[in-house]
Amino acid sequence: MNILFVIVFSVSTFLLLCIAPEEFLPALLDGAGKGASVCISLIATYSIWLGLMRVWEDSGVTRGVSRLTKPIMRRLFKTDDEETLQAISMNVSVNLLGISGAATPYGIKAAKLLDQREDPEYASAMLFVLNATSLQVLPTSIISMRVAMGSNAPYDIVLPTLLATVFSTFLGVVLTRVFVPPKNTVRNIRKIQIQGAGI
Amino acid sequence: MKYVLAVLIPLIFLLSFLFACFRKVRVYDSFTEGVKGAIPLILSIFPYVTAVMMLCKLLEVSGLEERLTTWITPLFSFTGIPEDISSLVLMKPLSGSGSIAVLTQILDKCGIDSYAGRCACVAYGTADTIFYIGAVYFAGLKRKRLTSALVIALVSYLSAVVFACFLCRIM
Repeated sequence: MNILFVIVFSVSTFLLLCIAPEEFLPALLDGAGKGASVCISLIATYSIWLGLMRVWEDSGVTRGVSRLTKPIMRRLFKTDDEETLQAISMNVSVNLLGISGAATPYGIKAAKLLDQREDPEYASAMLFVLNATSLQVLPTSIISMRVAMGSNAPYDIVLPTLLATVFSTFLGVVLTRVFVPPKNTVRNIRKIQIQGAGI
Repeated sequence: MKYVLAVLIPLIFLLSFLFACFRKVRVYDSFTEGVKGAIPLILSIFPYVTAVMMLCKLLEVSGLEERLTTWITPLFSFTGIPEDISSLVLMKPLSGSGSIAVLTQILDKCGIDSYAGRCACVAYGTADTIFYIGAVYFAGLKRKRLTSALVIALVSYLSAVVFACFLCRIM
């Protein structure tokens, strides 16, 4: 992202320098203002969902959900660590509800826990791919946007979105299994460790 | 189907609150405690959103975005992605808020219920902001071997967009 930011920023600035240098500062100010207003509207969205999430946490819904999804997560991530599995389960469950902003804290926690393990590559890649390809069942933000803009059929996109996102997630999981295989990673690390011990 | 979906979100709230009462949770206290978390969360993403928004505005004003879109559009139309949404397909992996802005523009221009409009909505939902997630999730880690994961995510995303546009055409 750092490289990308510098490249895109520099190229755009250079182009702007050639055609209309006086538009540089207004463009930045306009962008920053937009960023601020987007954040204000996000406060409203997050207030709703974070409030509900806390109620779920306190009433035990969260624990129940993560207990239900744990067996699948254990197989998918090839890990037995209880704390890691809890964070992953919550990350995935909240993602399924389409509240990716609220899933982020759990995802960061899971990524940090995975980083401490011997073979983090497969599980980290799986965590990233699952989050990046988006798991959400109901595209709530798009639906509310379509309703707000006065669509005749705001729910028309639900089924295609569901199919497409299941497709992208499934493809991502398969590709991760193929190109970042779990067992080989463990074996390779063991091999390296044995060789290291021999030396 | 439509009625069921419209009813779903209010129903989730109602059932959650009733269940919480049943479990003797002080719902108001609990809910407000959760809402409190919104401000720190926004503060943590504010710098990224603002920087990306400035970058997007620069991209737009400098005409670089237009050039990129012109280059990549033939490639996209070849796979069945409508021309109008190619800027969204480019933006989505980079920035969530940026792509919301682009999505709004597309919906304004083409109409919410048009083919391109529906494609845009579905394409928007197929993947998350891949680069942003990579940056946030794996920012403070020692081991950063995520290149393959990044490529896998991008390949899955683009295939899913093609699939999504195909679905919009037949449904």
